[in-house]
Amino acid sequence: MNKKTLFELLQQQGITRRGFLKYCTALTSLMALPPAMIPTVAKALESARRPSVIWLSFQECTGCTESLTRSHSPTVEGLIFDYISLDYHHTLQAASGAAAEHAREQAMKDNYGKYLVVVDGSIPLADPGYSTIAGISNLDMLNETVAGAAAVIAVGTCSAYGGLPHAAPNPTGAVSVSSLIKDKPVINVPGCPPIPTVITGVLAHYLTFGSIPELDELGRPKVFYGQSIHDRCYRRPFYDKGLFAETFDDEGAKKGWCLYRLGCKGPMTYNACATLKWNQQTSWPVESGHGCLGCSEPNFWDAGSFYQALSIPDGDYARAAGYAAAAGVAVGAAAGFVHQKTKSTAVAQHSEISVDDFSLNKD
Amino acid sequence: MTSALDITKGINALKEQIDAPTAAFFSSCVHCGLCAEACLFYTETGDPRYTPIYKVEPLRRIWESEYTLFGKLKKILGLAKPVTDEMLAEWEPLIYDSCTLCGRCSMVCPVGNDISAMIRKVREGMVAADHAPEGLIGASTRAIKIGSPMGVRLKALKAQIGHIESDTGLTIPIDVEGADYLALLSSMEIINFPEYIESLAKIFKQADVSWTLSSEAFEATNSGIQIGCSDIARELVQRVVDGAEKLKVKYVISPECGHAYTAIRWDGPNLIGRAYSFKVVHILELLDELQQSGRLKTSGSLDKKLTFHDPCQLVRKGGVEAQPRRLLEQVASNFIEMNEHGNMNWCCGGGGGVSANERADELRIKVFNRKKTQLQEINVEVMVTACANCRLVLEEGLEENNMDIPVIGLSELISEHLVEDGEKNE
Repeated sequence: MNKKTLFELLQQQGITRRGFLKYCTALTSLMALPPAMIPTVAKALESARRPSVIWLSFQECTGCTESLTRSHSPTVEGLIFDYISLDYHHTLQAASGAAAEHAREQAMKDNYGKYLVVVDGSIPLADPGYSTIAGISNLDMLNETVAGAAAVIAVGTCSAYGGLPHAAPNPTGAVSVSSLIKDKPVINVPGCPPIPTVITGVLAHYLTFGSIPELDELGRPKVFYGQSIHDRCYRRPFYDKGLFAETFDDEGAKKGWCLYRLGCKGPMTYNACATLKWNQQTSWPVESGHGCLGCSEPNFWDAGSFYQALSIPDGDYARAAGYAAAAGVAVGAAAGFVHQKTKSTAVAQHSEISVDDFSLNKD
Repeated sequence: MTSALDITKGINALKEQIDAPTAAFFSSCVHCGLCAEACLFYTETGDPRYTPIYKVEPLRRIWESEYTLFGKLKKILGLAKPVTDEMLAEWEPLIYDSCTLCGRCSMVCPVGNDISAMIRKVREGMVAADHAPEGLIGASTRAIKIGSPMGVRLKALKAQIGHIESDTGLTIPIDVEGADYLALLSSMEIINFPEYIESLAKIFKQADVSWTLSSEAFEATNSGIQIGCSDIARELVQRVVDGAEKLKVKYVISPECGHAYTAIRWDGPNLIGRAYSFKVVHILELLDELQQSGRLKTSGSLDKKLTFHDPCQLVRKGGVEAQPRRLLEQVASNFIEMNEHGNMNWCCGGGGGVSANERADELRIKVFNRKKTQLQEINVEVMVTACANCRLVLEEGLEENNMDIPVIGLSELISEHLVEDGEKNE
């Protein structure tokens, strides 16, 4: 690991302490930690040594790396990323061939048990020949590299859930990292690509606490993936009022109404786009007029057309609902019949009342 | 020989009263207690037993134990609280003394439960269990046997008519077959407010309305509705229907009486099980129609600061809200609404048989405080209403509180401002 602390490195880059603390505050709130944790975050980041990071790219499009490098310099997020010790990233590193592989092996040896492995891309199991690096199959390289890792961060939907390569009919037999790695903590940071702040946020959490953040059942950090796009969408009030754009150029679309009927997958997608936005908080897909594709959800490629509205029940649901309704009607009718009988018996037993019946009138 | 009323009959009557709406109401109740704040018996006493939905507890118990699965299980296991004679005796004052069937609780219920209709249903059980109050039994008995809850006989009506005819020179038609309108009267109008009859005669003369009274069916009030006995109510409605159909009238006019309107207009056809051959209108509806069509002409107005007390049955059950205001616009220059008016008006405290039930007198005077407060907020000189019972209760309450505010009927106020013969139309 590098001798200088993160804070010292940031200072060298002209980042003031004030700016650094602002970043820590933002990060603390981003991670949904109590404000009392700000000093802890700052202290941890100040004293953190650069962890060694080995970045493995398998069946992927490099979009995730593009996303990271587009985290516009000189944002603090970008600098943080610069000042981890990225010892191996075959897209970004200068070395090539045997020298490149040697860098990876050296980093593993030097930081055994402590380094982080970041993976983007899925791993083909059908035939290792679909994707190799320096003649090594993706599966072998993953197993070999992860053996001495502290944790694995699966960046992007391909490594988290299989992504595009995994889409039907999945010719390469692509699988996710978490389906192969069972003995190390795996953090899924899905998205096609993921938001840069989310990637750096997960790294910062690891640097601060030396542990991985709390994950949901799909292995995603809850702080970033805890709420649906729909719940945080600024167009949500239109949904609640039933105001929907029906085409991409109608009045509703121009007025910024809800894109639900145009296939927005916001209601079933858990990600931070609606709050963090993209490109220095410039905008995000829904704000630019297109529905959410649901790119951070498993199997999003196979979830039907991007333009098909959600919640249109298919035949099975309809039939099940039909049976349930019929059963309910039958039970209700049976109960109603019993009650009808109670009532008709009471009506039959009614003997007409006259004023002479009152005991007062009998005296 | 008649059979005695007892708890078995009472429980059977309550079972009979449960219908789909009632079951839905009980299962929808969220126990929010909003109905308490809508009831003047609660607001003026602070006694939680006067929470409207609590008053219908006997009916709820019957519904639960007879019409719900869990209730049946509880009954089998002996966990259910039964409806007993003692319970009904305890509830009798809640059902009769502290509820005027005004329906204000039904207006505020957030799940739409018609609580006042349920109270009416509990009264059926109370009657069958012999737990009706003495005052209402007396009124019902007089209504059935004499023809009027106040014991007014035809002779008394004819005497009043004689006075009016000789005082005014007008003719009050009786038993005119083929007249358009049959006017009903409440016995309070015959005894306490004969000016109503005079007003009708004056207005109908000017507007050229063909009308009549019936010697066989002049009484509009229906004690069967108040005591809560459909069998008695049916007989009383039938008398009116027979009288109207005998004279072949097109319309029957319900007088300035709240529950009489509910009885003949809404409950009647259901009680006798068929539609009428005539239509029923309230006198205010008719006056408004006459005025709108230009047949009723008034001049001048009462300049005193006055307000209108909406009779509960008229405004909440009948929706007659705009008509009195349009009429008042013609004859009152200084009309002011009470803060809560129209379909959220507060009851006078004496409707639904409460004023006929002497046992409730003290409580009724106490809860009149609500109306007193309403009046103090606006400080008026005159009150106008359209229900003889409201009028009597208001007069009594005002007197009790030393408030010098005369109460007049709206029809009477209109008749006082009719354009006289020979006077020029403005």
